[in-house]
Amino acid sequence: METSFALTGKGYVIVASDTTAARSIVKMKTDEDKIKVVSPHLLMSYSGEPGDTIQFAEYVERNLRLFHIRNNYSLRPSAAASWIRRSLAQSLRSRKPYSVNLMLGGYDVTIDSPHLYWIDYLGTMTEVPFGAHGYGSYFALSLLDRYHDPEATLQEGLATLKRCIDEVAKRLVVSPGKYKVKVVDKDGAREIEL
Amino acid sequence: MSIMEYNGGSVIAMVGKDCVAIASDLRLGNQALGISSNFQKIFPVTDRIYLGLPGLATDVTTLRETFRYRVNMYTIKEEREIEPETFAHLVSSTLYERRFGPYFIEPVMAGLSRSATGGFKPFIAATDLIGCLNFAKDFVVAGTASSKLYGVAEGLWEPDLEADQLFETISQTMLNAVDRDAYSGWGVVVHVIEKDKVTTRTLKGRMD
Amino acid sequence: MNSIANRFATTGPIRELKKAQTRVEDDEFSDSVWGSEAGFGSLAKGVPNFTVPSVPDPSSFLRLHTDDFADPNCRIKIQHGTTTLAFRFQGGVIVAVDSRATAGSYVASGTVKKVIEINPYLLGTMAGGAADCQYWETYLGIHCRLHELRNRERISVSAASKYLSNLVYSYKGMGLSMGTMICGWDKTGPAVFYVDSDGTRLKGDLFSVGSGSTFAYGVLDQGYRWDLTDEEAQELGRRSIYAAGHRDAFSGNTCNLYQVKEDGWKFIGNYDISKLHYDGPGETPGAGYGYDIRIERTAAPIAVQA
Repeated sequence: METSFALTGKGYVIVASDTTAARSIVKMKTDEDKIKVVSPHLLMSYSGEPGDTIQFAEYVERNLRLFHIRNNYSLRPSAAASWIRRSLAQSLRSRKPYSVNLMLGGYDVTIDSPHLYWIDYLGTMTEVPFGAHGYGSYFALSLLDRYHDPEATLQEGLATLKRCIDEVAKRLVVSPGKYKVKVVDKDGAREIEL
Repeated sequence: MSIMEYNGGSVIAMVGKDCVAIASDLRLGNQALGISSNFQKIFPVTDRIYLGLPGLATDVTTLRETFRYRVNMYTIKEEREIEPETFAHLVSSTLYERRFGPYFIEPVMAGLSRSATGGFKPFIAATDLIGCLNFAKDFVVAGTASSKLYGVAEGLWEPDLEADQLFETISQTMLNAVDRDAYSGWGVVVHVIEKDKVTTRTLKGRMD
Repeated sequence: MNSIANRFATTGPIRELKKAQTRVEDDEFSDSVWGSEAGFGSLAKGVPNFTVPSVPDPSSFLRLHTDDFADPNCRIKIQHGTTTLAFRFQGGVIVAVDSRATAGSYVASGTVKKVIEINPYLLGTMAGGAADCQYWETYLGIHCRLHELRNRERISVSAASKYLSNLVYSYKGMGLSMGTMICGWDKTGPAVFYVDSDGTRLKGDLFSVGSGSTFAYGVLDQGYRWDLTDEEAQELGRRSIYAAGHRDAFSGNTCNLYQVKEDGWKFIGNYDISKLHYDGPGETPGAGYGYDIRIERTAAPIAVQA
């Protein structure tokens, strides 16, 4: 099943998502990138209804880009999160709602701090120090309650992420195989090999 | 599964002597799974009106934004702050606008309204999810723990409580009621509104 | 095939049901029905028999009235939310459970005993139907004692769990609901068996059962080693139940902790989960397991330095 994790640390946010694209009982692809860099200091992992996910992610990406072109600066993570949430909330009461769950990790360059938002397909949003979507969250959240440190270095943060991935691999019946991991900090977003 | 119980959360408002209090829990859940222990459901509307929005969390945020917009527009057009009675009707009509596809929220509001003599009069009200107003003289409750809140509040509340006594009463009511509700809890926040100040306190509640 | 076998069977629960039905119709009651044998009288002659609803298909009738997932307004509420865990390690077995009972969103009790002390060497945990677990594990206790008297040696954990497993399996489809761990110490050393009402019986080192089990596993797996000391193992059990009590709405209130050693089980303690969150198992304020409490604790020394 689809699973994504995200956690904050000292000056960074790590976002990780599994890389399987499944249809029915078949894994169609095992190296799908489900984390988008939606603006220079903003990462968004998306999961949910196939089709909706990519459409919505690209819609967000392009709108944030449009804002950047028009105004010559990017939305801060909190503002981008509010806009994305509102888009989902409006979509919820439309004829065909987007069914997409998001983890939005960003680095606010104006106040030099990392931010992480947990957003679900209903448009529920909350800022969290760490979060997860999918069945993996039932195993990872208690683990993160125990091991997460918001002041941890990147190495320590990745070690904690590794714990989550290992735990889900150990206990979840249909656990995802590989994960893509991205980090955003003051220097922008980049991918990391675990 | 009820949509009103999807995220959990509860709010209560009480009348005191020349003061009112409003309290909520801080849990945001996904059914049985707790997501956040810092999800505010009570928002200031003016210096003397607070609005509690228990129910579906997406609508908590949406309605908070809607009411902020509408109250700002009212303030600009009227060149004065909105009164609690007026605001209650704004809440009611905003919800009824969505009569056939409602917001899943049962608002609770508490405030002090200006009387003709220039003094302040306590005001509390609640509505159902499509805007039926309920003006009460003692207390109003809403959310997943509402039935439990009624029980405790009926037992603890009495008329003409001073601000500090009211704080104690509403705090005990909230803390004990949410302990009997699986979907509410994870901390409690209390606001006590008096004519010249608002006191906000976060209480140490059970975290299970 | 089964239906034919059942029709001609002279023993087994279905036969007993038929017998019981005729008995009810004939208005014949044994003394045990009147409670003179503490409710266990029905077992005195070997296979227990229960009066069942006198309808053509008792099991589907019962299911109709007990399945509160399908119908929240059903008459017979069965307790669902729970977290229980047990694991084997160098020093024996740790058994830890929460104590919350919920009916819908209502927390019906916060002081439920979910560890059933079968005898001084055997513990059973309770998840699913509270009455089912209590009754059948007490019943198991009776038979463990009979085994001792007959064979002049204690029953092995394996045999005891097999006895329970076979028993609940014979009632399969009748609405029994239990997920239990039978824990103890026998000739082979510490042992843990998972037994549920589907008829599953598993031997293992580490199990957790209930709605909060995933949260308990998250902490348990990461901290588990065979060579844990007694103190470390007890701490791990407590922390895991705390984790589940914190995240799962249907688990919480208090944690009951037991350890089984060579000389039988010992009750370690009852811990308020809210107190574990803020202060931990000891009496030091601010030494709690809670995330925010832990972060505040680690952040504090830095503030002092600055």
